[in-house]
Amino acid sequence: MRESLASALAESQAREAAVYLLGNVPGLPPIAQSLHILGIAVVMASIVMVDLKFLGLAVPSQNVSEMIRRLMPWTWWALLLNAVTGLLFVVARPHRYFFNPVVGWKFSMLVPAVALAFVVHRLSTREAGYWEQSSGRRLSARVIAAVSLVLWIGVVLAGRWIAYSDYLFFYE
Amino acid sequence: MPFTEFWTWLEGLPLAEHIGFTWWFPFLESIHVLAIAFLVGSILMVDLRLLGVAALGYAASRLTREFIPWTWGAFCVAVVTGIGMFMTRAATYIEHPPFQIKLVLLLLAGLNMALFQFRTFRDIAEWDNAAVTPIAARVAGATSLLLWAGVVLAGRWIGHTI
Repeated sequence: MRESLASALAESQAREAAVYLLGNVPGLPPIAQSLHILGIAVVMASIVMVDLKFLGLAVPSQNVSEMIRRLMPWTWWALLLNAVTGLLFVVARPHRYFFNPVVGWKFSMLVPAVALAFVVHRLSTREAGYWEQSSGRRLSARVIAAVSLVLWIGVVLAGRWIAYSDYLFFYE
Repeated sequence: MPFTEFWTWLEGLPLAEHIGFTWWFPFLESIHVLAIAFLVGSILMVDLRLLGVAALGYAASRLTREFIPWTWGAFCVAVVTGIGMFMTRAATYIEHPPFQIKLVLLLLAGLNMALFQFRTFRDIAEWDNAAVTPIAARVAGATSLLLWAGVVLAGRWIGHTI
């Protein structure tokens, strides 16, 4: 399944286009990677900041429900930007990414992190002040925030290690 | 390049060789990226307020005060991890144009911040809660955004050219 998907991508025109762009647009690889890092900065400034607020660590003067309403749209736009800039590299060399264990780690943290962000945003949109209404909800919010924080840190670290997987798995 | 002996000496330190030849380099690099993302994120939130684009319901001074400790904390982590990577090939990095550009952009970002702090911030009481910020504040916010984006790009450029 993974092999056939990787092969299908490898033989697709999308791959030709990605390889052409990365090889011929001057500076595109570092530019796309910089945009990817700026997208991560926006994730840090939105969902991660909400997590830190839930944990009582940051921005004491702000209200968490208002923060969620104001900041979470930024999270989704940033994740879209990162999907596009990330896919550019994946499509160009599908086998390198599809069979890289570090990519597996990254996505096994990214998927739950995005799911938690969705839950935080969704429930707060449906019912204003959702996370502040009872001690049980406040506690769940703190647990979710702690898990989310750890996951996002893991996603960023794993993302950088993708390029070093040869080193991790085939060293010596 | 001045201090050539110093840069070469730095590279020869056991610590530098240890970082360069083990998993320490990618480890430091991943922490460096994490710190920069957090640093730029916290700066972005202040800059967008200065530009009058976001968080208009909050006083600019309060917002700045609440984010500055995070910004400086992340900056310190980025500097320490950056020096760790730099020392593995100090003499090469110091002569490498993208690295030099990154240092200049960092310096300009620092100057921009100091200028804002000591000039524009002094009369902040007059516009602290205003959605439309004075032109000096908007220039400082836009300059900061551009410079930090430049720092990220120059940093990534180093990785592609060295």
